[in-house]
Amino acid sequence: MTAPLTTPGTDTEDDVAFDHPWKVIVWDDPINLMSYVTFVFRKVFGYSKDKAEQLMMQVHVEGRAVVSSGAREKAELDVFRLHEHGLWATLEQDQ
Amino acid sequence: MAAFSRRRFRWKNGQVVVELPDDEQDMLRHVLPQLRELVMDETDPALRRLSPPARPDDPDAEAFYRQMVTDELLASRLEAIEVVEEGIAGTVLDDAGVDSWMHSLNALRLVLGERLDVDVIGHDALHDLDPSDDRVPIVALYEWLGWLLEQLVDAAMNSLDD
Repeated sequence: MTAPLTTPGTDTEDDVAFDHPWKVIVWDDPINLMSYVTFVFRKVFGYSKDKAEQLMMQVHVEGRAVVSSGAREKAELDVFRLHEHGLWATLEQDQ
Repeated sequence: MAAFSRRRFRWKNGQVVVELPDDEQDMLRHVLPQLRELVMDETDPALRRLSPPARPDDPDAEAFYRQMVTDELLASRLEAIEVVEEGIAGTVLDDAGVDSWMHSLNALRLVLGERLDVDVIGHDALHDLDPSDDRVPIVALYEWLGWLLEQLVDAAMNSLDD
């Protein structure tokens, strides 16, 4: 028998990022084509045509939409891929 | 001539076929080196369009993110430009090739859109410019790139499920 591994409670309690996933937000801009933005959502996130179109319209009408969320590293990678595609994406921690 | 032959990007056997007329090939050969120069110049304001802040709420986090991704983003853009330059005369694109063409065509649009102040004046104003306006040729280029990108999206759509 080995003693159970113990982790100091503060480690997990302080790990806010663990409790609060990060959100990736895409903002409206007048240059990117609607068809292109929809395509990028499908390709980068694997979303269905319907979901991608709905998100694209949300960006267009409301000015922004949360397009993905999760652990910080994953969200940063998502932002990177969206920037590669020329979309205006930001990252923020869910409060 | 059949309308079909006007398409610059076609879906065929699971890939995207690229066929550009000579004058359009020349135009891309002319503008891509300028895009390359621009993405390598960190001081060009048009770069804001290509690399917007990821953490506008937190300058420290933004600086950290920048440091982490800047080289990779630049390498990705330069590679994408190179892929397009190699295929201008005609090529067949797999998934990665489609990404490279999309990234480059869209980057050109973003830079030109920024130069034209589309954010401020809106698209309609582009069509109301006086024919003698210096911006008219840039508008034509900007619209042509949008037309190309739209076709590429149409063709590449076939590669996605459902």
